[in-house]
Amino acid sequence: MDLNDPFENEDDVDGLDLSPRTAPPVRGGDDQRRKRLLIGGVLGVILVVVGVVAWQGLSNAALYFRTADEAVAQRDDLGDRRFRIEGTVVPGSVEPDGVAVRFRIESNDVQVAVFHQGDPPDLFQEDIPVVLEGRWHQTDDVFESDGILVRHTEEYEADNPDRTDEYVGDDDGGTSSE
Amino acid sequence: MTTLTQTTDDTAPDGGAGAAPRSTGSRATRVLGTVILVTAPIAAYLGLVTSDPDVVQGDAVRLFYVHVPVVSLMYLPVILCTVASIMWLRKRTDGWDALASSSAEVATIFVGLGLVTGALWGEITWGTYWTWDARLTSTALLFLLLLGYLALRRYPAEPAARSKVSAVVGILLVPNAILVHYSVSWWRSLHQDATRGLDTKMEGNQLTTYAVAQGVFVLILVWLSIHAFRVAWLSLQAERGDLDVAIAERMADDDATGGM
Repeated sequence: MDLNDPFENEDDVDGLDLSPRTAPPVRGGDDQRRKRLLIGGVLGVILVVVGVVAWQGLSNAALYFRTADEAVAQRDDLGDRRFRIEGTVVPGSVEPDGVAVRFRIESNDVQVAVFHQGDPPDLFQEDIPVVLEGRWHQTDDVFESDGILVRHTEEYEADNPDRTDEYVGDDDGGTSSE
Repeated sequence: MTTLTQTTDDTAPDGGAGAAPRSTGSRATRVLGTVILVTAPIAAYLGLVTSDPDVVQGDAVRLFYVHVPVVSLMYLPVILCTVASIMWLRKRTDGWDALASSSAEVATIFVGLGLVTGALWGEITWGTYWTWDARLTSTALLFLLLLGYLALRRYPAEPAARSKVSAVVGILLVPNAILVHYSVSWWRSLHQDATRGLDTKMEGNQLTTYAVAQGVFVLILVWLSIHAFRVAWLSLQAERGDLDVAIAERMADDDATGGM
């Protein structure tokens, strides 16, 4: 029972004074209830989104990609399922094919032929590690890709022709020079 | 931890817990702010004009000078929030409460900035704004956890109960941050392995630019943290003042109607 509720006031009960009056702002009043509902709703939405993100993460992120050699080894299990495949673009293998592009990727000395439909990203080039999204061709040993993600390495080098003397090209300048 | 540096004339009369400062600024923060106003444009100039484009990434490498400082510093307020949450549970003092609350606000800004700059950089280099890889997913979780924390902080409930629930959520931040940090080594990720780790190769004016940018973001983090802490502290005091007033009013009402 709320002490400040005007209809619970004993004086009113006796005199039946129904003249309108303005109640003082009360803690726990309508404003606060609305705020509580709003923030409760926001918390609920956040909780649901956290759940979705965690589920996505668990089912997806743990095995973000298979390397080219793994994808070849698991060819039968994978069937026509979509997955991501990773490898380094083999130098000299890139051939434009109409609106598509053919190339090969390599990982642990296993090469996979790729047929990619669509525009590759700007940074796509030879000798760079990429992650491709798609599936194995039903019969041929070709990976049909519809998404190229370029993995950038943690190596940065200033593109300045005046300072080529500072270039250090001996230790692992590329990504798969072993 | 709970002392505020305040100038003597910055006091307002209130019925509650002592004199409150009128502003969250002090001589120290004003000097700090001025230094930031001077150095930030220098860092922007270095990053956008004088530093060289990258051999592979071209001009996209300039995002490095924002993204890497921001994400490397986001761990500090996250750790601070968890430590302050634990300390609040032990000591139950307003200082730790204010520190936990303000650190979470700063952490949210840095994690949010990290996600936005990362998405922009990802679109240019990877070819996508977003992908559900381990680092991105765990960072998104951290951001959502922080948003949840901030919402809890604003939930109208009894202050002690609210602080308690917030502290429990605050303690979850560091485990989540550990997940973010090691995600790239525990799982396969599109994201590069080390952020300014020993493997990172960078030299010349790229390295200088990065060093200056990192320094500027450190100053911004400190400046934001001090102000956020003072605001959190003052709002705790204001809330306490409100409560005292409400209790006084309630007691006066009871007296007038003869009590119960």
